[in-house]
Amino acid sequence: MDLSIKTNSLVGLLGPNGAGKTTTIKLLSTLLLPDEGTATVNGFDVSRQANEVRSCIGVVTGGERGLYWRLTGRENLLFFARLYGVREDMARPRIDELLKLFELDDRADDNVEKYSRGMKQRLHLIRGLVHDPPILLLDEPTLGLDPNSAVVVREFIKEKLQRNQGKTILLTTHYMEEADQLCDKIAIIDHGKVIANDTPGELKTGLRKTDVLRINATGVPSSLSSDLKQVEGVEEVKMSVIDPVTGLTELLVHTRDAEESLPQLTELMVKSGVRIRLIEQSKPSLEDVFINLTGRRLRD
Amino acid sequence: MSYRASVLATIIWPLPLLALNVYQYLGLASEQQVGQILSSKYGISSFSGMIILGTVVYLLYNRMLWGTGASLQEERFNGTIEALLLTPANRMTILLASGFSSLLEGAWWIVGVFLLSWIIFGVQPAVSDWGAVIVALLSTMIALVAVGVFFASFFVLTRAADQLATSLQAPIRYASGVAFPVAALPVVFQLLAYILPVTYGIEALRSTVVQQGTLAGLVWVLGPLYIFTFVLIVTGHFVLRRVEAQAKRTGSLYKI
Repeated sequence: MDLSIKTNSLVGLLGPNGAGKTTTIKLLSTLLLPDEGTATVNGFDVSRQANEVRSCIGVVTGGERGLYWRLTGRENLLFFARLYGVREDMARPRIDELLKLFELDDRADDNVEKYSRGMKQRLHLIRGLVHDPPILLLDEPTLGLDPNSAVVVREFIKEKLQRNQGKTILLTTHYMEEADQLCDKIAIIDHGKVIANDTPGELKTGLRKTDVLRINATGVPSSLSSDLKQVEGVEEVKMSVIDPVTGLTELLVHTRDAEESLPQLTELMVKSGVRIRLIEQSKPSLEDVFINLTGRRLRD
Repeated sequence: MSYRASVLATIIWPLPLLALNVYQYLGLASEQQVGQILSSKYGISSFSGMIILGTVVYLLYNRMLWGTGASLQEERFNGTIEALLLTPANRMTILLASGFSSLLEGAWWIVGVFLLSWIIFGVQPAVSDWGAVIVALLSTMIALVAVGVFFASFFVLTRAADQLATSLQAPIRYASGVAFPVAALPVVFQLLAYILPVTYGIEALRSTVVQQGTLAGLVWVLGPLYIFTFVLIVTGHFVLRRVEAQAKRTGSLYKI
């Protein structure tokens, strides 16, 4: 993997499950040592200068773990602030500010075991910010949040953390729209390798050289993909099963001219016994880029 | 509510063990006769005091072992170890903090057990130097924190550490002379006894609490105890570093 991230940029790391996103975050946060190669954060080597790295990063991981459930939210934050070397007189006002911002101030003195999943996730975020690090590694920061909270968190990440405070942010996400909305650049990784690294716009433009036809159908034989590629103008066909029970399959057909290819494509599919449910010419989304590059959906 | 129950249980918990040790002697002879034999053979002036101090130190050893020693393992089970290791805080500081919090908890616990022992078993302290008592108690507790620090890495390194720590309980209880003077042991076991910090802790407390021992008289006990404390902490520090480095290579530290 070869990846560099500029100061004050917000970079998204996308990849299917098992692609190496969390491993990358763990390597950069010094929780794992690289088998080979080097990684530096803020100029510090993750293997040899781990403490310096830890001091300048805030890591937010998702999920239920990583918090002391029998302590209150505020006690958790004060504890971690002390571990990051933040004096209590400085930590308290910062914690109050963050608790208010993330709308946890009214529950700050409740034990974490009484928190909902979304509240715990917001507490994770605050914990990552409590020492005001210049670099943030956010592993699925909005996972488990309700849509309203997710919007607040996204705005906070983009507006306050990146634009106002100039923080450098690397985030992994399963939400394409989140990556599209937030990230200056997106690195798509698969099997531990960066297979694309560009702005969301450029990634989509790269795909727009061809038209994309999105076809939903059932009764799709496995040979259909290669058959459709024989149609003139068709450059690429991606097939993925949406519903294994009904066999509903999505075909993404990249063609030089959709209007030219469409009659032949439909004729071929009907002859093959395919029952077409939907055909639309779509503008390439980041999801299309992702599928085009990895052959899989993000959640596969 | 659960915290109060835990406090109550912690105080009551050592009493059956104390009673067991005391009544084993009283089943053979009267308290006066047992006291006379121990006094003439081993210079022990308070038989129940000997047992209670031995038992308290032994139980404190267990508390430190499972409190400090298993603290990192507990963090791993709770899923908080990753968050802890993401901070730049010194790992030994984290471990020692856990040890000293167990120590603070242990301090009031010792007072509670003494008070109950006084009421139930009629132990009368014979102190001539309270300063020596405090030094003996603090030195013992710090040594037991060091034992916990030493074991912490093993708890992280292998799940078999649980079994190892459990299997060491009975031999340590035996060899450190919890319920009898170490001098009563065969010579081989006496040698074994003096490579255990617990033995020195028990002897220091027996000397100062029920034998009217002074600080000057503690030198031969505290000297080795401090050496053990130093060696255990330094060894624990290096083992912990190695274990963390290994875990970072394999990712094993973060798996339950």
